Amino acid sequence: MNRETLEVDVLIVGAGPAGLSAAVRLAQLQKGKGGEALSIAVIEKAPDAGRHQLSGALLDPSTLKDLIPGYESKGAPLGTPVDNDNIYFLTEKSKFRLPITPPPFQNHGNHIISLSHFTKWLASQVEAEGIDLFWGFPGQHVLYDGKRVIGVRTGDRGVDKHGKPKGAFEPGADIHAKVTIFADGVRGHLTRQLYRELQIGSGAEPPQFAIGIKELWDIPKDRLKPGTVIHTLGYPLRQEEFGGSWLYAMHDSRISIGFVVGLEYRDPLFDPHAAFQHFKRHPFISSILEGAQLVRYGAKALPEGGWNTQPQLFVDGALIVGDAANFVNSTRLKGIHLAMRSGMLAAETAFDALRAGDTSTKTLSTYKTRVDASAIKTELYPMRNVHQAFGGGLIAGSAYAGIAMFTNGRLLPDVSGHDGHHAMRRIDTYYGLDKRDDQVPSNAAPIDRKLTFDKVTGAHYSGTHHDEDQPVHLLVQTDVCHTICGSEYGHPCVKFCPANVYEMVDDGGGGKRLQINASNCVHCKTCDIMDPYQVITWVAPEGGEGPSYDGM
Amino acid sequence: MILVVAEQKDGKLNRASWETIAAAQQLSGGSMPIKVGVAGQNVAAVANELAQAAVAEVIAVDHASLAHYTPDAFVQALQQVIAEAKPVLVFFPHTYQTRDFSPTLATRLDRALVTDVIAVKQSGGAATFARPMFQGKLTADVQPQGPTPHLVTIQIGAFRADAAQRGAAAAPVKTHTVTIDESKLRQKTEAPFQEAKQAVDLSQAERIVAVGRGIKSQENIAVAEQLAKAFGAELAASRPICDNGWLPMERQIGSSGQTVAPKLYVALGISGAIQHLVGMKGSRTIVAINKDAESPIFEVADYGIQGDLFELAPAIIAELQK
Repeated sequence: MNRETLEVDVLIVGAGPAGLSAAVRLAQLQKGKGGEALSIAVIEKAPDAGRHQLSGALLDPSTLKDLIPGYESKGAPLGTPVDNDNIYFLTEKSKFRLPITPPPFQNHGNHIISLSHFTKWLASQVEAEGIDLFWGFPGQHVLYDGKRVIGVRTGDRGVDKHGKPKGAFEPGADIHAKVTIFADGVRGHLTRQLYRELQIGSGAEPPQFAIGIKELWDIPKDRLKPGTVIHTLGYPLRQEEFGGSWLYAMHDSRISIGFVVGLEYRDPLFDPHAAFQHFKRHPFISSILEGAQLVRYGAKALPEGGWNTQPQLFVDGALIVGDAANFVNSTRLKGIHLAMRSGMLAAETAFDALRAGDTSTKTLSTYKTRVDASAIKTELYPMRNVHQAFGGGLIAGSAYAGIAMFTNGRLLPDVSGHDGHHAMRRIDTYYGLDKRDDQVPSNAAPIDRKLTFDKVTGAHYSGTHHDEDQPVHLLVQTDVCHTICGSEYGHPCVKFCPANVYEMVDDGGGGKRLQINASNCVHCKTCDIMDPYQVITWVAPEGGEGPSYDGM
Repeated sequence: MILVVAEQKDGKLNRASWETIAAAQQLSGGSMPIKVGVAGQNVAAVANELAQAAVAEVIAVDHASLAHYTPDAFVQALQQVIAEAKPVLVFFPHTYQTRDFSPTLATRLDRALVTDVIAVKQSGGAATFARPMFQGKLTADVQPQGPTPHLVTIQIGAFRADAAQRGAAAAPVKTHTVTIDESKLRQKTEAPFQEAKQAVDLSQAERIVAVGRGIKSQENIAVAEQLAKAFGAELAASRPICDNGWLPMERQIGSSGQTVAPKLYVALGISGAIQHLVGMKGSRTIVAINKDAESPIFEVADYGIQGDLFELAPAIIAELQK
């Protein structure tokens, strides 16, 4: 097969905050230090800037100040400055305000932003530097020469659902680079290949994840002051589930509301989307959403494991940045500034390596040194065990988090985590001998289509779209689905997927079979993470497809 | 010399041929003679038409085996024309036909082929061709290497047909005789035909009966068919029905199927997921039949009947047949 090839100095995979910050920094170094012009390419699966970007989001502008001085005058869409912080503990009917807002939840000086809009702006800064951004080009395979990463092969286009080329078939291109920067996001499917093929996770704790489900709503004017930040803990989660909510009042009576649940829950029939619906039905929240209008829906996993779960950040020919490297501070619920910082540091490392003419681990390992000397470590190291400790329950976790905060992380033993899907119990272990209807989530919520919506409606509001005539981009070894999964776990994929991708339907012979509605997928990666048999692998669909997160 | 290979079918010139002539004239700028070749059967009229162009000569290639296009016959014929005319460059319009045979021709000649060219220029004495890469994200300047002739296909619409210069007098038309070895033709053409139109065009239907998950099994589709017949309506479906293969995909209504706005839309056992509603909510009159009174379909229905479709459908059919 004849593939197009492109040779560049630096290939950045993923145009999120980390990848784009790397691109901006490379352009700056090029300008500042001169020398032979570097060729830089950025590839991204979304069809346009910001379309696959979803976050709360509160931006800590510390990295932005360093990366783009004078960003205010350059039109950075920083949205609304945080005006007041509130944190509540919810019970089923009431709320208790925490008398003091714990330091990690203090957001003075931060901004409520749309990550999608922010990314769009960052992309415009990159384009202004003359760097080529390839929208709609997902990386599909890491290319190697021995153990050295030499680039990425992008996905084929125009393949039908049986894997046969259609009329407009075009094979993916091979993009060869001296340095490849993997910024493919949370549970990035290319970084996953590095985990498998180069064992970059062998020296680290297993990564920990959560799923975040987010909606944008337009509420009546004057109901919430713009800049209001509300976080809640408690209802509808139980002691054994780790998570909580956010509610941020943006401008123009628009609010961002969302719910996060750790992907290490035990109840196999638990449904994170249903938990979000229960949350919206809580009197405190429903009073805010009364008469309001749903605007958009989306979901995304987030890496919560912290410092000790960072993989080996460098290999021969490649660096890993942002969410792909698990750089999120789950205690502060923030990662954008860390993603950007890691992108900057990776760019500086790549630039020096290219100038030195050596892009092996010998020079690229200085990226790790830079990260260790940076604000990333200052921020993440003291909190390195907090998420793992919450695996022991809310009380133990809170105690650990409290001590970590006061001692700055000293004196505490490292707490070992485990892969989140191991926490899921089998139905018989969890429910005993009780007969359970495994078709119904344990926390099913009523749907009124005003305040609460089913997952299919959510998928619609995510704007997601995939051509139906293409190979399913969720690779599932389906032989466990209709045989043992029902009796062991009750088909948890049907429950944890927030977009109704997985359905167990009649197989016509008295049994059930898995139907994958791949076109509903919102690219959150939850299934890849939480499936108890680890038989689901997320790969990129045809370029440009997926959710449309404008404003998220 | 630049040889432009024009394209004709049944004595009618493909207008992209003029665009290709314009491209050749632009590159030449008068410094290189241009000849135009055209192949087929009974091409004299087309050759005279092409002789209006400001070119040195038109080469008419007439042969019974070229009456209907086959790649093998065209490759044989053009190979001979190129061998005799000895052009430096051969330009083709980037048509389906050219895309079909030009790689074979280039391989037979063992010469470079530059496809999908959108701009031509001389730079440093060498012809340079611009062609898009990565779905048009980049444009690459290409200079073909190796011995001439170099083969070039010109993207349709990249040059204007009316920019092709006409000559003061008609160019001479020369007939070029080719021999075609029929035994080497691996393709045999049948009479040309137009693919039948799609069997069903739901967007044109005045009345539609659409069936959903409530129909329960494939055998029951017949109930919906009878109802559709009684209404004189087209039969359509929501996604699960087509996913199951109970009705073909072309009958699916909704965001991943067709969008319709008939005068009458009868939704039979369709709950009304928003993805379905966006495909039919523009219908003038919507009648919904569903067991579950809470179904969202009732929110868009003008007439809603809550009940068992297996009782209601036969009753409605009986009433319509009265």
